[in-house]
Amino acid sequence: MTAFLVFTAAAVGTYLIRLSGVALLGGDRELPPGVTRALALVGPAAMAAIVANALLLDGTEWRGFGAWHLAAVVATGVALWKRSMGVTVAAGVVAFGALLLAGL
Amino acid sequence: MSTRERTFLRIGPQQWADTWAGIRAVAPLMPGAVLFGLAFGALVRVAGINAWVGNYASVTVVAGASQIAMVEQLRAGAPAAIAVLTALVINARLALYSAALAPVFSAFPRRWRLGLAHVMTDQSAVVSLQHAERWPDPVRRRWFIWGASGPFVAVWAMGTAAGIALGPVIPDSWQIGFIVPLMFLAVLVPGLRDSPALVAVAVSVAVVLLGRDLPYGLNVLGGALAGITAGAMVPRRARTDDAAAEPAARPALEDEQGAS
Repeated sequence: MTAFLVFTAAAVGTYLIRLSGVALLGGDRELPPGVTRALALVGPAAMAAIVANALLLDGTEWRGFGAWHLAAVVATGVALWKRSMGVTVAAGVVAFGALLLAGL
Repeated sequence: MSTRERTFLRIGPQQWADTWAGIRAVAPLMPGAVLFGLAFGALVRVAGINAWVGNYASVTVVAGASQIAMVEQLRAGAPAAIAVLTALVINARLALYSAALAPVFSAFPRRWRLGLAHVMTDQSAVVSLQHAERWPDPVRRRWFIWGASGPFVAVWAMGTAAGIALGPVIPDSWQIGFIVPLMFLAVLVPGLRDSPALVAVAVSVAVVLLGRDLPYGLNVLGGALAGITAGAMVPRRARTDDAAAEPAARPALEDEQGAS
């Protein structure tokens, strides 16, 4: 029962968060150019934050150097070369699997 | 609109095609969403949470990292209010996508804005932002964004259901957590070109690492905000310079020229 209530409260709050920007900045208004420039950076900045947190950290500690870092380098290289999301994921999975099998 | 007779489920072929284009755009990330769902489902089972409640979480909260944090808080016996607060802090970054999507959604009917907001995830939001310019017609655009969002949430929910039913079937030694940075690298890197975005990325990473001791994943939120602020201060090079410096084909370039 506690879990149900916790999830329900989190669901309502998360929905309001998801709606906040759409509701507050939406409509026909023309946004100032500075705001538009900032909004264009939301994707790159948020993606980079998640990658850094998940790849380079493990909780509050640094992640020990190994397969994660090397496979991420391979994926990044392939991403810059092919500019394709699908090819990047595939390359990262193959590299990571190979590194794990190699015992890293 | 002579195609009205060819509708299926009262949805026309153009809408199906645009939905399909959205699904294709996000499809490379779907296996990752299934794996993440499996991991959450297995955790629900290990924590002894009711199966229905676990599935309910995935279709109502629709944010995996926060769901995992809540289950771990509940397992640790934390007060319910703390568990909820933790989840909301982790999910605060969704407000950034919501702001960025506001101009993209502005021409949609109200019920579409309300509905698409619920199925907005990190992946589908950024894919939608990357493709929005190529869908100037608001009707076609909303079907594309629906395709990039709804089915992605559906596979996440199916992954959760499978994880709850099967339990921890994936060995720890596979370290499937790597799918998280990999998915986001795959979304981020192929679209990285201009200097404001590069500055945003660099500052974001630095702040995340410097703030690693912050609780509730606040370093992620802080990193994203700092990156956006820093990147917005960097002057963007003129588009012509961009084009000259990047002789390789830019997917969006033709559309931009067509629009100007």
